[in-house]
Amino acid sequence: MRSASRKTTLLLLALALCASASLIAVDKAKSKSAAAGRMEEEKRALHALNRLSFGPRPGDVEKVRAMGVDKWIEQQLNPSKGDDAALEARLAPLRTLHMSTREMMEEFPPPQVIRAIAEGRMSLPSDPQRRAIYEAQIERYKRRREQQQKEAASGNNNASAAGEDAKGGEGDRKDMDPAERAQRREARMYAELKSEGLLDMTPEQRTAEIMKMSNDERRALARGFSPEECEKVFSEFSPQQRETVLALINPQAAVVGEVQQAKLLRAAYSDRQLEEVMTDFWFNHFNVFINKGPDRYLVTAYERDVIRPNSMGKFKDLLFSTAKSPAMLFYLDNWQSVGPNSEFTKNGPQRRGNQQAGAGRNRRMNQGGFGRGQMGRHRYPGMGQPPSGTGMPPAGGQQDQMGQQRRQQQQNRRSGLNENYARELMELQTLGVNGGYTQKDVTEVARVFTGWTIKQPRQGGDFDYEGRMHEPGDKVVLGQTIHDGGEGEGRKVLEMLARNLATAKFISTKLAQRFVSDAPPPALVDRMAQTFLKTDGDIREVLRTMFKSPEFWAPEAFRAKVKTPLEFVASAVRATGVDVQNAAPLVQALNRMGMPPYGMQPPTGYSMKAEAWVNSNALLSRMNFALALGGGRMPGVKFDPQTVLRGAPPPEKSDAALALLEDALLSGDLSKQTHDIIKKQLDNPQVTGRLLDDPQRAPNLGMIAGLILGSPEFQRR
Amino acid sequence: MSITRRIFLKNGALAIVATTAVPGFLRRAAFAAETAAGKKRLVVLFQRGAADGLNIVVPHGESAYYAMRPSIAIPRPGRNESALDLDGFFGLHPSMSSLKPLWEQEHLAIVHAAGSPDTTRSHFDAQDYMESGTPGVKATEDGWLNRALKAPSGADAAKAPSPFRAVALGTSLPRALAGTQPAVALNNINEFGIGGRVGAPAPIAPTFEAMYAQSVDTVLHGTGHETFEAVRMLKSADPARYTPARGANYPNGQLGQGLRQVAQLMKADLGVEVVFTDIGGWDNHVNEGGSQGQLSNLLRQFSQSIAAFWTDLGDLGADTVLVTMSEFGRTARENGNRGTDHGHANVMFVLGGPVKGGKVYGRWPGLDSSQLYEGRDLALTTDFRRVLGEAVARHYGNKDLDTVFPGFENSPQKFLGLLG
Repeated sequence: MRSASRKTTLLLLALALCASASLIAVDKAKSKSAAAGRMEEEKRALHALNRLSFGPRPGDVEKVRAMGVDKWIEQQLNPSKGDDAALEARLAPLRTLHMSTREMMEEFPPPQVIRAIAEGRMSLPSDPQRRAIYEAQIERYKRRREQQQKEAASGNNNASAAGEDAKGGEGDRKDMDPAERAQRREARMYAELKSEGLLDMTPEQRTAEIMKMSNDERRALARGFSPEECEKVFSEFSPQQRETVLALINPQAAVVGEVQQAKLLRAAYSDRQLEEVMTDFWFNHFNVFINKGPDRYLVTAYERDVIRPNSMGKFKDLLFSTAKSPAMLFYLDNWQSVGPNSEFTKNGPQRRGNQQAGAGRNRRMNQGGFGRGQMGRHRYPGMGQPPSGTGMPPAGGQQDQMGQQRRQQQQNRRSGLNENYARELMELQTLGVNGGYTQKDVTEVARVFTGWTIKQPRQGGDFDYEGRMHEPGDKVVLGQTIHDGGEGEGRKVLEMLARNLATAKFISTKLAQRFVSDAPPPALVDRMAQTFLKTDGDIREVLRTMFKSPEFWAPEAFRAKVKTPLEFVASAVRATGVDVQNAAPLVQALNRMGMPPYGMQPPTGYSMKAEAWVNSNALLSRMNFALALGGGRMPGVKFDPQTVLRGAPPPEKSDAALALLEDALLSGDLSKQTHDIIKKQLDNPQVTGRLLDDPQRAPNLGMIAGLILGSPEFQRR
Repeated sequence: MSITRRIFLKNGALAIVATTAVPGFLRRAAFAAETAAGKKRLVVLFQRGAADGLNIVVPHGESAYYAMRPSIAIPRPGRNESALDLDGFFGLHPSMSSLKPLWEQEHLAIVHAAGSPDTTRSHFDAQDYMESGTPGVKATEDGWLNRALKAPSGADAAKAPSPFRAVALGTSLPRALAGTQPAVALNNINEFGIGGRVGAPAPIAPTFEAMYAQSVDTVLHGTGHETFEAVRMLKSADPARYTPARGANYPNGQLGQGLRQVAQLMKADLGVEVVFTDIGGWDNHVNEGGSQGQLSNLLRQFSQSIAAFWTDLGDLGADTVLVTMSEFGRTARENGNRGTDHGHANVMFVLGGPVKGGKVYGRWPGLDSSQLYEGRDLALTTDFRRVLGEAVARHYGNKDLDTVFPGFENSPQKFLGLLG
């Protein structure tokens, strides 16, 4: 209905181009639409949606146009605090999202807790489901210990412990006695038989069945599944069932999986789209890598309590709250930075008369180990990490040696100044790499932040200022003397950095890179930086300056940005209006495209520029994702043509179907070339699955959608 | 387009050479094409997690070594499960016996006490520096291996470079290959394509290909073109038919299977020039083991993979150099839990046809307490850029080392002389 005249316009455009590709005809068509005054406003609405949200859903362009583009932008800048019921309903089953870090660690025990229980230092929980999770892990821990002792005792071990870790499984070791091996083989066969049966069960039966299994069987089951089968087994589970089963196999992966899936669900379904875009932006700016030790448990709260609430507030608040967040303190090692002349260094970790506290500190100081499992196969976007958040992860025992490691590190680690946070604070979070600071400044800032640490990082503890670790004396940062003042020194430095012109420029440049183009116009960046300085770093105001700028609306900005994998996946989900019952396959798709959620190891965060994301493997992954999404081959992610048709009868002719989907998915903004190519393919019965003698069969909307989502045009926003 | 044609022509010509007696001029033409195409290949293998170089190439002539590693030292040659002696002072870890023949054939050289001069003991930073090729400089955007790719010269300049010129095994490009030169990230050659397995008919693939080929989008058009070119080349070359040569027994595990695919790509004549791959699991703070144990197992996989790769390459080995590196070494002393902590200098392996092997290169700094770096780690006497620079300039043929390793003085006079 609405697009009757738009369709005519498009048709005219297409006809004109088909006929002769005459520029005059195109101009005519364009001027006609401009005269109607609609295309222009529609384009503005589309542009705004492409930039301020993760992409338009069916009907969004109309809605924004009806409301008025400027008004919609204001609304996004000032999102209502009211609840986002549809989104909340989808997130509700992911229980860890609402838990404190401590609760999370109790429900989904990390290896340290398991060890403590196994060694009798803690007791098992009484809740049966929770108990099952603990028992499964304890058994694994004990088995691992036995193995290690056996290995240490006997010289006869050709077992590839390391190889197993790399693969995450436990194969039959050569030093196993025959009885043990037979037992294992039997467990595996049994599990294989069961796994076939499992696929035929209802999700409830399946959970019950898995709960009944022994740990060996569960492990064998997880090992025996291909990733596809994993997806299949998991696809029909409710989120609660998934969580339970996953927690039995690998509790940490359950936690990580939920926060990763939530990211996709929020991007796809949140009404407060700009807030989500900004949350993603700031998380990436203040990046934390989820697979570094306890950060597996800290990222959830970090994003929820530190990043999102400040995503459109004052930059200063973001800076302060990230500086104090356990996630950042751990990720950039500041929690263990100790002043060379501090009390701690001089008199040792143990305080007289307070050995308890001292011992705790000492323990804390020595837990920063770099578990083997954290070294992914690659360190760059996304490789090697188990596809957490999906299916059954390999049951690796990467952390089981932490107990010994801890004691050992206690003896070996030299405490001292750690410059990691200080350097990244200036280089990546505030001034920028050419922001006018020196190596001396880095050292001074590191001295300033000594004592900013974490209370029991592996038990979910919070920020703690420990005066005994703090380096005494005045410091000089960027030519300014910071007088000896304990915790207050850090606050002064953060204030200084937040108000610095270099910071204003650096942040403005990055924002403009996200919202305008990879190489934003310097004049725009300057005006944004001015706003930043005038408003004491008010992010909302800086955004407003940008959204009101002519540069933002310039024709060359339209579709100037290549989508990152996250933006691509989220926009495809939104455009098709698919119902995501299980976001794990979407997380897996991002892993394949090299952008696992929260999985960027270095503190730089993911790149926002095209060059980082346009590579052969990633492009093929995008096309395959598009086809799988449209073709309904992604478990738990169903494409229903009705959402795109929005009540209209399904088109009978492939031409009409194509026009409709171009309109729905790309607002008709598909190039003539792409349009023609798809059209040509639609006439090919081998492609469409339509037999020549069966012209009545309805066009395959999912397949056409897949082609459009995989087209060059859809890779841009 | 030209690429495919060139490859086909070349394959055709080679096929003639291979099958039967051919006129001399044709044979010469075929070999000339080979040379002109610039077939020098460089394979870089990164050991992520900081490998323990002192237990990999063991200084069994140092008594300090045995004093500092009471439970994890590798026994002196001649004893049970002892080091495989190389030159009377150094020995290979016993589980690396598969590399010993390559040493004896003088294809394998070792550089000890090598690595990055940066003092960081952070895995993140150290790997970043070794991949950017600019230790201490974080702002470098591209990687050294990308900068090492030379501009096509002569007849090649007119042709589009092969999409397989620079290959990384994995879902995305590693830092070392980031940069302006096209490089292909390839996770699994059997799944590199539209709709799953290579060779499986996917009627939709040509549709996507046409879209990207005709797109006016310069960014996507270029990569799309390369991608489909690569997919098509891979399909027609059908690397799957290059089964490993006799005696090339790749172990299970990512590295072995990765190198197996690299060999397939090379043997399928896809124009491979540089390859980056890696293997993790070296961060043994606890129970590292000595002649047996965690490190031993990983080393067995590591050395068997490399040996199988070498065997598999056959004649292609003559033009191939493989270099290994790791972000830093480990403490000279074992720690309280029979492991080692983050250290400084390490060992690098250099394998290949033109390598002057059978020798341990680099000045040995010694392991006495006074000789250790910061009193705890093997000191560094060879900058990793010296080793890589020599491989890039002497073997691969890119003499512009100021661009590859900016800020590092790397004149040929300073090379170790690893390559003939």
